[in-house]
Amino acid sequence: MSTVLVTLMPFWSERLGVPRTVGVEFPYGHLLGQPGDRDTQMGVIRAALKLLTEATGPGEVRELDYVWPQETSEAKRDWQPPEPSPIIQMMIDQRRGQRKGAG
Amino acid sequence: MTVDSFKFLPRSIAAYYQNMSVQREDPVPFTPLAKPLDQCRFALVTTAGIHDKGQEPPFDAEREKREPMWGDPSFRRLAKDVSQEAIGASHLHTNNRDVLLDMNIVLPVQRFLELESEGVIGSLAPTSYSFMGYQPNTTEWRQKYGPEAAAIMKQEEVDAVLLTPS
Repeated sequence: MSTVLVTLMPFWSERLGVPRTVGVEFPYGHLLGQPGDRDTQMGVIRAALKLLTEATGPGEVRELDYVWPQETSEAKRDWQPPEPSPIIQMMIDQRRGQRKGAG
Repeated sequence: MTVDSFKFLPRSIAAYYQNMSVQREDPVPFTPLAKPLDQCRFALVTTAGIHDKGQEPPFDAEREKREPMWGDPSFRRLAKDVSQEAIGASHLHTNNRDVLLDMNIVLPVQRFLELESEGVIGSLAPTSYSFMGYQPNTTEWRQKYGPEAAAIMKQEEVDAVLLTPS
């Protein structure tokens, strides 16, 4: 089976080695764009299909030039969960404990 | 343009990732596409932690809450006629609001059905796959659940796979 990856973090493809990669500068959880934005979703998919047919060897990374429509600071907040994830909460609690211990 | 992989991440998490040591896959596997696109059957795989509420239970987020160093390694199947209303989401590391509005931002089932009817691709396979992206330990993915999903793909005669880790 042939594979193509769409990722927000082409950094990992370069480091880990991936057969074919399409990179987009979108926030987490939004691989193909915003909800309801059919054109962007289809544009990213078509780029992935093109790479699937054109790649001649492993490791090719193609970065797309879509610009995320939100302010970066807003987008940075927006993708995050309403409550800290369990691991982040655990780290927050540990840091609090250390501070208490140090104080 | 160069994609900034860390643009939307908090600085502490970005620094953690940048300093993390990883093992490179060597040689990098590569399977050339065996047929023209319009004859290929596609499977879709995401790590968005979504499921079809009418078909399967959600991922075990309660255990992850009790054991923050554990992520549910199993996967859920989504049929090609899954409706948006049936989508449930249990990822604790992203805001699930947008995927509950439109699954196509992480698992483009409806876009692939359009490509199938346009004749751009051969078909979308009967099954798409959803994993939980938070996996501090990927042993079970590698040894059990990855091969299980691949076996279903083979049974459904899949030629190509779109991977969208979220």
